[in-house]
Amino acid sequence: MADIRFEAVQRAFVQGGKEFLAVGGIDLVVANQEFVAIVGPSGCGKTTCMRLVAGLDQPSSGRVLVNGEEVTEPGPERAVVFQQFALFPWKTVFENIAFGLRAMGLGKTEIDDRVNRFISMMGLSGYEQAYPHQLSGGMQQRVAIARAYVLDPGVLLMDEPFGALDAQTRVVMQEELVRLARKNPKTVLFITHAVEEAVYLADRVVVMSRRPGLIREIIDVKSIREKERWDDHPRIEDVMDLGSFVHLRSHIWRLLREQHLGDDQ
Amino acid sequence: MPSFVRYLYPPVFLLGTLLAWFAVSEWWQWISPTRFPTPTQTAEAFRQILIQGYGNGRLHQHIVQSVLLVSLSFTISAALGIALGIFMGASRKIEALVNPVFLTLRPIPPLAWIPLAIVWLGLENSAKVMVIFVAAFVPSVINTFTGIRSLEVPQREAARMLGIRGRAYYFEVLIPAAMPMIFTGMRLSLQASWTTLVASELVGAMLGLGSILNQAAQDINPPMILVGMIFVALCGWLMTYGLGRLERLAIPWRPL
Amino acid sequence: MASQRSNGWSENVRLSLIGITLFIGCWYLAVFFEITPRRFLPAPHEVLFQFARLIQEPFTGFTLGQHLLSSFRRFLNGFLLAIAIGIPLGLLMALSRGVQLLVTPVFESVRFVAPIAWVPFAALWFGTGIGGPTLVIFMGAFPPVLINTYRGAIYVDRKYIEAAKMLGAGPIRLMTQVLFPASLPSIVAGLRISAGLGWQSLVGAELIVASSGVGYMMVKGQASIQTQIVMAGMIAIGLVGLLIDILLRRVERRFNRYQEVH
Repeated sequence: MADIRFEAVQRAFVQGGKEFLAVGGIDLVVANQEFVAIVGPSGCGKTTCMRLVAGLDQPSSGRVLVNGEEVTEPGPERAVVFQQFALFPWKTVFENIAFGLRAMGLGKTEIDDRVNRFISMMGLSGYEQAYPHQLSGGMQQRVAIARAYVLDPGVLLMDEPFGALDAQTRVVMQEELVRLARKNPKTVLFITHAVEEAVYLADRVVVMSRRPGLIREIIDVKSIREKERWDDHPRIEDVMDLGSFVHLRSHIWRLLREQHLGDDQ
Repeated sequence: MPSFVRYLYPPVFLLGTLLAWFAVSEWWQWISPTRFPTPTQTAEAFRQILIQGYGNGRLHQHIVQSVLLVSLSFTISAALGIALGIFMGASRKIEALVNPVFLTLRPIPPLAWIPLAIVWLGLENSAKVMVIFVAAFVPSVINTFTGIRSLEVPQREAARMLGIRGRAYYFEVLIPAAMPMIFTGMRLSLQASWTTLVASELVGAMLGLGSILNQAAQDINPPMILVGMIFVALCGWLMTYGLGRLERLAIPWRPL
Repeated sequence: MASQRSNGWSENVRLSLIGITLFIGCWYLAVFFEITPRRFLPAPHEVLFQFARLIQEPFTGFTLGQHLLSSFRRFLNGFLLAIAIGIPLGLLMALSRGVQLLVTPVFESVRFVAPIAWVPFAALWFGTGIGGPTLVIFMGAFPPVLINTYRGAIYVDRKYIEAAKMLGAGPIRLMTQVLFPASLPSIVAGLRISAGLGWQSLVGAELIVASSGVGYMMVKGQASIQTQIVMAGMIAIGLVGLLIDILLRRVERRFNRYQEVH
């Protein structure tokens, strides 16, 4: 049981002697086991939002709460999947996934059990003893996702996790993530700049504005998805062909274009 | 055809060099034997030092003396240097404390410590150990320090997120990340140790490869000088090779 | 946020000062408690006084300045020779596989001879003339120059070389106008390492076969157990070595800036 609350959250940075607001003032609630994506132009503070929930950063004012408790430092209950994978090159796939569990003090049999389960779930069977450098980008990110999921976290934070992958791998990973999220639902905060990705994966999409980062609009995707029965189409290209999907995507695109227009002036 | 040739090349080259040496030195005498030894002279000197001995000992005794001394000093010095490097890397406070002393002593070349070592410890082995220590210590510290600091931000944050702390953080995150640079430091330390040892033995020693060079120089014995140099090179190469294999074992994850 | 950072910085400065004070303090304590006779371990200020004195009064025939000049001249000889041979050879090796195959085995086998081991031969061939130390310094300074030049040149994007060839550039122009500028950052980095090694080899050479120079001065100081002279010599060597390094680092930075704008 874990929900995320942003209460009047601001984050100011000092750069070149001047102070600027990366996150201008956010109020947001992510319900338990809800999948929320944040999209926005670069520099809108969306990654900062995730880092605040992760505990890798502190708000300048306001509060960030997970499960009613204020976030002070990072921990396995708020697992993070990084864009650059952040695997440990000197550990095998198995060791990378097991590392967090060992730090939690679990017993060997339970660790082996959980790790093996996720290895097969993420399609990593046969690669247990491989080192990260021997794997492709997509495989490495699978390991990173497994590493996060195996902790059984209350909250899952994903920072443009497919950003470093090539286009085809990206699509495959999106399909897999949807399958995983439906089977193993968690409270997810997913950061991306790819609108299609957000609409495909999320229950709600939060569109943020340029610096200072504010919430421009929150779009409820889930209701449309259920009404139009997107889940009847297992293949991603079929879903993205649907009129309702295209409509949502275009709507978000228009919102984002406004931001850029304001930029050019 | 090309790869076949590549394997043939080293022995052919060696043979060619040998032939050229014979030709230039012995048959045509383009270089006077007092300047550069002929192959037969060198072979004779080699035989002499191998069987009868030269300068207080036989060849293997010299080699053992030098290699043992270097290995001992290098190991101690590198171990301490790596430890200090780890502490300096992990804690900015320790770094601030130690750095200035380090920076002042660092520009002094290791060989410059030889006269001081002789004043303090005479011509005994302990003086050599001291100088080797100075030579090997610095590269180990610097490279270890750099290695520890080279842990990338995403990995550092991932470790925090996973809740890795204390001993696990040191031994399973910081130090493995620094291993490649630690070995670079060790390689530099080993080279420095070997050079310094030879220099120390050249200055004054009873036994050791450097002492062979010293004695041969005083006796004006070019063939023996060459024999000494060849073995300095050989032992140096062997130790570096050994370290390389150790590195291969210790860092299995490196995409070499 | 900003104030936190400045606090950390000044704390580090404080710690550094503490560190250095501790070091000098321990030194004075060791002298005070006469761990070894005064002759063997002079006090820090005695060393400094000796340093100042050496600048004026000659020791073994020369003042400190003259000794340093002597050493530096030898260093420059060996260092410049290493550059003069190393850079063209490295570029040539990158250009022509034949040359590379010819040079590499010779280089690799000779390279493992510690530069200092060349001293006996150097003494044999040159006596205490300038040729001896120059040879030793060359042996120390040459490898980094060659290696860095070669590595810098082979990693030059083939596109530049092909473009130049298409424009009709012969091997010499290829080397001077394409390979050389493109490998400059690597070469300059190699020069820094080379200077360091060359300076070190110089010290070693002078310890054994010289009649002037800072190394020679230290040996004489050691022989007459005037430890202040030995330590003053160490300081002088360290300072000059540091200066050379700082100078080359400036050069390196200037070339790197050029790369980045490019």
